[in-house]
Amino acid sequence: MRRMTRQVDALQVVVLLAAVTALLAFIAPATAFAQETDLPVEVAPTESGAPADTVAEEPAETVTEPDRDNWMGRVDAFFGKYLVAPLGTVLMYDFGTGRLFKSEHEKIPFVVAWLFVGALFFTIRMGFVNVRAFWHAIRLTKGDYDLPGDHGEVSHFQALASALSATVGLGNIAGVAIAVGIGGPGAVFWMIIAGLVGMTSKFTECTLGQMYRKIDPDGRVSGGPMHYLYDGLAERGLAPLGKVLAVLFTILCIGASFGGGCAFQVVQSLGVLRNKIPLLEPNAQPWIYGVIMAVMVGIVIIGGIRRIGATAEKIVPAMCGVYVLAALYIIGVHWRDVPWAFGTILDGAFTGEGAAGGMVGVLVTGIQRAAFSNEAGVGSAAIAHSAARTDEPVSEGIVALLEPFIDTVIICTMTGLVIVITGVYDAERYPEFAVFVQRNQGAQLTGMAFDTVIDGFSWILMVAVVLFAYSTMISWSYYGERCWSLLLGERWSIVYKILFLLFIVLGSIVTATNILDFSDLMILAMAVPNILGMYILSAKVRRALDVYWHKYKSGEVVVVKKDGGPVA
Amino acid sequence: MSWLPKRCVVVPFDFSDESIRAIDTALQMIETPAQVHVIHVLPELQANEPGVVWHTIDDEGRKRHAKNAVDVRLSDAKYQGIDVVVDVGDAGHEIADFAENIGAELIVMPSHGRRGLKRLLLGSVADRVVRLSHCPVLVLRG
Repeated sequence: MRRMTRQVDALQVVVLLAAVTALLAFIAPATAFAQETDLPVEVAPTESGAPADTVAEEPAETVTEPDRDNWMGRVDAFFGKYLVAPLGTVLMYDFGTGRLFKSEHEKIPFVVAWLFVGALFFTIRMGFVNVRAFWHAIRLTKGDYDLPGDHGEVSHFQALASALSATVGLGNIAGVAIAVGIGGPGAVFWMIIAGLVGMTSKFTECTLGQMYRKIDPDGRVSGGPMHYLYDGLAERGLAPLGKVLAVLFTILCIGASFGGGCAFQVVQSLGVLRNKIPLLEPNAQPWIYGVIMAVMVGIVIIGGIRRIGATAEKIVPAMCGVYVLAALYIIGVHWRDVPWAFGTILDGAFTGEGAAGGMVGVLVTGIQRAAFSNEAGVGSAAIAHSAARTDEPVSEGIVALLEPFIDTVIICTMTGLVIVITGVYDAERYPEFAVFVQRNQGAQLTGMAFDTVIDGFSWILMVAVVLFAYSTMISWSYYGERCWSLLLGERWSIVYKILFLLFIVLGSIVTATNILDFSDLMILAMAVPNILGMYILSAKVRRALDVYWHKYKSGEVVVVKKDGGPVA
Repeated sequence: MSWLPKRCVVVPFDFSDESIRAIDTALQMIETPAQVHVIHVLPELQANEPGVVWHTIDDEGRKRHAKNAVDVRLSDAKYQGIDVVVDVGDAGHEIADFAENIGAELIVMPSHGRRGLKRLLLGSVADRVVRLSHCPVLVLRG
């Protein structure tokens, strides 16, 4: 009898999996008609304003599109038509600003304005904590103030490293190249600005994450926007709104983990591998890479092999170092061009010479790619930072503000400088690379930029890219799984994990543009409930910051000898 | 199920007032508190959560902390002598397995009652214990 009932439990899982399979089977015939109406592939018009279509035809000779008649093409078409297009209509709504400008790319999408205005507001509201607490943040991260008796799971440094492994990924390598490709060199300037103000968004959300985290009787910590939206807004007498925002955030975070945290990483790292391995070309067998990655992620998140996941996350800081050194080497080789590069970046920031058109296009591109890369205001990092061992929520917020600095102001700027200085984004100098720009294959463009200076460097980049992609997927699957379990219960987390692996395989099949759009929409949309909640709770954060800052200035926050004490 | 006093009763515990009431109910059915076995089940750790990645949290430590927390919650004199166990895994299975291993005659537990989507997907721990248990289960209505 016992055995039978256990089988019934297993049966529930099997039925659900069968439902997923049936859905996929439904996709195939459903897309049969979708392929007839070819999807509009977003191709940026050239400076001369040539219609996009004519530009798109040329590269077709060099890079072959996936055949739309096969199953991979059908999945791609379905993905674009039924997922990306409807979502984009809502989130990228531009309030008619598109009509105000000359170029069709010059418009201010709602979420981009939302993120930037939010970051500016918090920077002012928190009295430029991103500047005044910078040195304190470094000392906190070093462990100078770690009290062994404090509650939580990991040290400040470990929490920061875990959060970084989710943020530093293909967004820093591919995303920057995409930004320069669309917005021109000026996009780098706006990325840096967005990174600097984003530091305060990150401070605010991670402080809130700590304030409203839950510590289970066994010492396990869970926190993040889903908790502070739910409990924080209830405290302010806005329980129904808090509930809606928390659920909305949870759903979007699950979606984002499938997009930016998964498929985007696969599709962009695949782009770099393709340069070296012809088998992974779109018309060959790209799914092989997807399956290998799915197996590698699966043995950690389903198989529970902790060592592999832990190693992948721990080498992220080291990989960041190697990447920055390599970029510095390239910049060093071109040292004569450095003033010119900065000039071009500054010039482009206010005039706009990329495909995106004028200054507004450059600004929007820069902010959007920066937000995608450092996730400030998105809320994801608050999940990881909640685990930090401290009884002072503000102190972890201060540590977290280093994240956009490392991610965007340092790493993204390095990629940006390499791309600008080597000129690979410039269609006139390197017409053979124009196709990467047009198809949003950013990682390939970065690879080419590195290769122009150090022959064969793209091999090293290839390894780095695969490792970044892998560690980002491991970390993001944790964010997604937390949200999923909160919504549906721990028992069904296996279904989430299987879906996550499916999206890895999907990422190797679907085109870069569809994945980029889907990832953007999901990650940026998380900022809608998150920042709204942060506005409502900002007074509380400011008060806590003032109290903490007073204690710090008056010497009440004591420096202690570093001692990695046990979990309290 | 006979109404004679029991020698071994299992009570799943989740720190709620309802599960305290379940312990009170169980205490009325036995002769000494040592015949009541309270079990608290922790969910499994994920291989990719920060505490696991940095080796700062493990199941042994969690069990210890949870055991302390249960002991504190049950510090009242009338609960002295009760056997407290903490396990890791799926609540339904762990409770049923534990009851079978110690040869329990009865499981007493509250039903919190979920509604909507969670009801459909999760059922309740009580539902699952009822289905998996080798012995009678007394479900107390909230």
